[in-house]
Amino acid sequence: MQTTLTNGIADGQLTNAAKLANVSEDQFRMSNGVRVIDYQPTSRHAAPSNRYYLWLILPAVIVLACITLYPFFWLIWMSFHKVDVLKGDVWNNFANWRRLLGDRSFGNGWLLLLKYSAMCMLMEVGLGVLLAVILNRSKYEKVLVTLFLMPMMMAPVVAGLVWYYLYNSTFGWYHWLMQSAGILGEKSILGDTGTAMWGIVLVDVWQWTPLIILITLAGMKRVPRDQLEASMVDGAGEWRNFFQITLPNLYPFLLIAILLRFMDNFRFIDAILVLTGGGPANSTKILPTYLFDVSFQFFKLGRGAAIALTLLFVTIILGLILVKVFESPAGKVNQEGS
Amino acid sequence: MASVSIKNVWKYYGETAAVKDLNLEVLNGEFLCVLGPSGCGKSSSLRMLAGLEHISSGDIHFGDRRVNDLPPKERDIAMVFENYALYPHKTVFDNIGNALKLRKVDPNTIQQKVERAAEMLEIKHLLQRKPMELSGGQKQRVAIGRAIVREPELFLFDEPIAHLDAKLRAHMRGELKILQRKLGTTMVYVTHDQMEALSMADRVAVMHEGVLQQYGTPQEIYHKPVNAWVAGFVGEPPMNFLDCELVQENDAIQLKHSTFSVSLLPEQASIINSAKLERKVQLAIRPDEIHINGKQSAESIKAEVKITEPLGGDMLVDTTVGKEKVLVKTKPDFTASMGEECFLSFDKQRWHVFSSETGLAFF
Amino acid sequence: MASSDIVQYKTPARKAVDILVGVFLTIYLIWTLLTFVMMFVSSFKDLLEAFKLPEIGDWLGVTLFFDFTPTFRHYENLFLDKNFGKYMMNSIISAGGSALISVVLGSMCAYALSRTEFRGKKDLLFWIISTRMAPVVAVMVPLYAIFRNFELVGTLPGLILAYTTFNLPFAIWILKGFFDNVPYSIEEAQMCDGANRFEAFVSILPLVAPGIGAFLILCVLFGWNDFLFASIIGSGGAKTLPVATVELVQPQNIQWGKIMAAGVVTTVPMMFLGLLVRRYLVTGLTMGAVRE
Repeated sequence: MQTTLTNGIADGQLTNAAKLANVSEDQFRMSNGVRVIDYQPTSRHAAPSNRYYLWLILPAVIVLACITLYPFFWLIWMSFHKVDVLKGDVWNNFANWRRLLGDRSFGNGWLLLLKYSAMCMLMEVGLGVLLAVILNRSKYEKVLVTLFLMPMMMAPVVAGLVWYYLYNSTFGWYHWLMQSAGILGEKSILGDTGTAMWGIVLVDVWQWTPLIILITLAGMKRVPRDQLEASMVDGAGEWRNFFQITLPNLYPFLLIAILLRFMDNFRFIDAILVLTGGGPANSTKILPTYLFDVSFQFFKLGRGAAIALTLLFVTIILGLILVKVFESPAGKVNQEGS
Repeated sequence: MASVSIKNVWKYYGETAAVKDLNLEVLNGEFLCVLGPSGCGKSSSLRMLAGLEHISSGDIHFGDRRVNDLPPKERDIAMVFENYALYPHKTVFDNIGNALKLRKVDPNTIQQKVERAAEMLEIKHLLQRKPMELSGGQKQRVAIGRAIVREPELFLFDEPIAHLDAKLRAHMRGELKILQRKLGTTMVYVTHDQMEALSMADRVAVMHEGVLQQYGTPQEIYHKPVNAWVAGFVGEPPMNFLDCELVQENDAIQLKHSTFSVSLLPEQASIINSAKLERKVQLAIRPDEIHINGKQSAESIKAEVKITEPLGGDMLVDTTVGKEKVLVKTKPDFTASMGEECFLSFDKQRWHVFSSETGLAFF
Repeated sequence: MASSDIVQYKTPARKAVDILVGVFLTIYLIWTLLTFVMMFVSSFKDLLEAFKLPEIGDWLGVTLFFDFTPTFRHYENLFLDKNFGKYMMNSIISAGGSALISVVLGSMCAYALSRTEFRGKKDLLFWIISTRMAPVVAVMVPLYAIFRNFELVGTLPGLILAYTTFNLPFAIWILKGFFDNVPYSIEEAQMCDGANRFEAFVSILPLVAPGIGAFLILCVLFGWNDFLFASIIGSGGAKTLPVATVELVQPQNIQWGKIMAAGVVTTVPMMFLGLLVRRYLVTGLTMGAVRE
């Protein structure tokens, strides 16, 4: 605790100032007219423990670790072994991973997954944004949105079953409809390698376009009104307004929507399992479906684990991107006013 | 009721010190305002008094009790928050009675106390409403009501009227002061608004960058600022600062500016003399302690009128002396047009001289 | 006061567009509801009636769809012979139980995460959300093995725990957003008023109660609609409605009426729950990224 007082200030003046500031004299230093302190406290009290919060966090984290982390590490273990329930697991020198390189179904699974996702996304985003724009200015918005979102409530597996029935080539009404309209021939939409993908995409579009509508609508409510009005005063028509103001404001929302849907395509294969099971001739065997077959039809658990890990890896990367979008300034703005 | 003593208190957030070596004594029944710009450490200090922040170093005593390690509930304090912190789902009655209920006071007593507090604050007709239905001023009264039913040893106010409009704020200042006098409870009140601090407090603690700058009565703070920062911070419109040099001429000491020269009063000269003569100083004077005149008089300074701003009862005149701006507050009957010449004379009893080097006040 | 909508001016082109828009909305509405109508109506049809289809291209034959005598046989059969009452109970217990555990543990954890800062908090949060996004098929095998070790396969507790893998991270992530919106000063005021920290936490629960309730329901919905976990972890003793519905599909003996009835039984409760939490759906389905 040293006084760093120099040049020209008399003791009397210092005492006076120190007295006025109600501090002891030896701890006094000024800089640019402000009293500053540049020494450290002699000791610091121990920082308080955060144990209280720890106890609140811990139960959930432990439960979660047991049912996710543990299986995850087990998955890694399995991917390096020939898994045999009776004889025990045997190290197989990366055989599971090497198999993947030459596995055409594996590469194909990824391609089909991308194709499936791209088809779903294009239709869902196109339809969803169009409908959101229409609904946003409709007086029946509330009623219509409520009706439109019904499909999301249905269990995907039930949706798959119902559509399977309606697609049936001998007594399905949707098949009759498509055949009558001349879109389809004798064969069921699911029965032909050329159309089966469309069959499963349509179900996904039916079920999940409403989500895109909801997200886009929420986004449109956040488009700053003053921007729209300023642009109208500047002479922009409705089209210009939409492309110049509304759409750019919607991008973060659409990005979130697309990422979420993409990851859901990894997660949900319930409908595909009952609709085609990956057939015909593997034309709808997107990767998660193939993984299901490897693990639960052929019981190649080690190889399944390797496939699962590639799937998890991509999911985690997508997740990282998604969290980045959540945290981006645009994402932050969206969270206000709830 | 209790006195409060804060001794060598530090607050660290990580490695940044928010409060540095704070020392304050608050007497029993005193109304203390902690004044400072945002980020000066005043709120951290208050929260340490409340027990909402841990004290990194030092001690806080309420009376004889060392409260460093006591949680808020054991300190017997009541606090009013900047955003009122009312429970949105509870009625005004339940909001005010909440603390008593937590202390398991019997319902009849609660009823009595809440009603008495509501009467005092003139919100008795609002008791069954929810906070959502109240105006800002009413919410603020509820928050105060919640504090006073407790009859605590110490009141802590964290900028409680900052969000009210100007008129209501002026009104609440008076009411809060009356209330504190009536209750006689020690009160620590944090604000960035000097009007609040000067008008309500018995004593004011001015803080800046975590350091206590000056501690004294409102008069002391206003009339005897210890350093240039306090002088510049307190007062509205702010003080004028002019760079000058001290020159010894015969017996008198002259303040020499680039465009003028004025002499110090004898007692002021003797203070300067008792210090070693320092050449570079800042002359500081408040706008309302300068007289402006169209005609020259003894020791008046030539200035040029830039613009006049009538404020109703007063008039602000922007002038320039040499290249420096000097703001003058005068009566609205003063008339001058832009660019016109005028003459300023300073109230020498009221001016201040600060060392340019350290910013410390000579007087 | 400004009007609540951006002004629009009527022009002839605008009117034409309005008509097109109306047509488009109608078509989309039909497309959305048709599947539901098919499911509901078919669940009341006898087998032979269900197979009746008009000739290809005979558009007027559509009326044939409504040409049937309603029968409740399928529903009776499901509940009397096929044990659907029990499956429904299983669904309720597993989805409800998991939702309850997730929301209780989740709100504690979310609250603490919302109120503290510590190193690695971001990573912890990312790990939590990533467990929610992980594809179920990917972790199914090791999870199955673990559950078998603890003899949880085919039991309701096992299924509850399995659903918790996706419901708990969901609850933590969403509820954290809720707690973030409650100003900390309310708890501080409580503590000054004489509450301890836990009491202060409990005191703000009423503020987030509507949200917690809504997400409890969403968790129920996610659990109820799950198929993969239920079919593998729940196989045996803990059959739920979606699994039982799928099991009605048999290669030789197609019982469409029953399947449709089972679909109705599975779907209708969730439609009501969905409407109940309509306001929170977007938030829930986008992991809190988008709010209405």
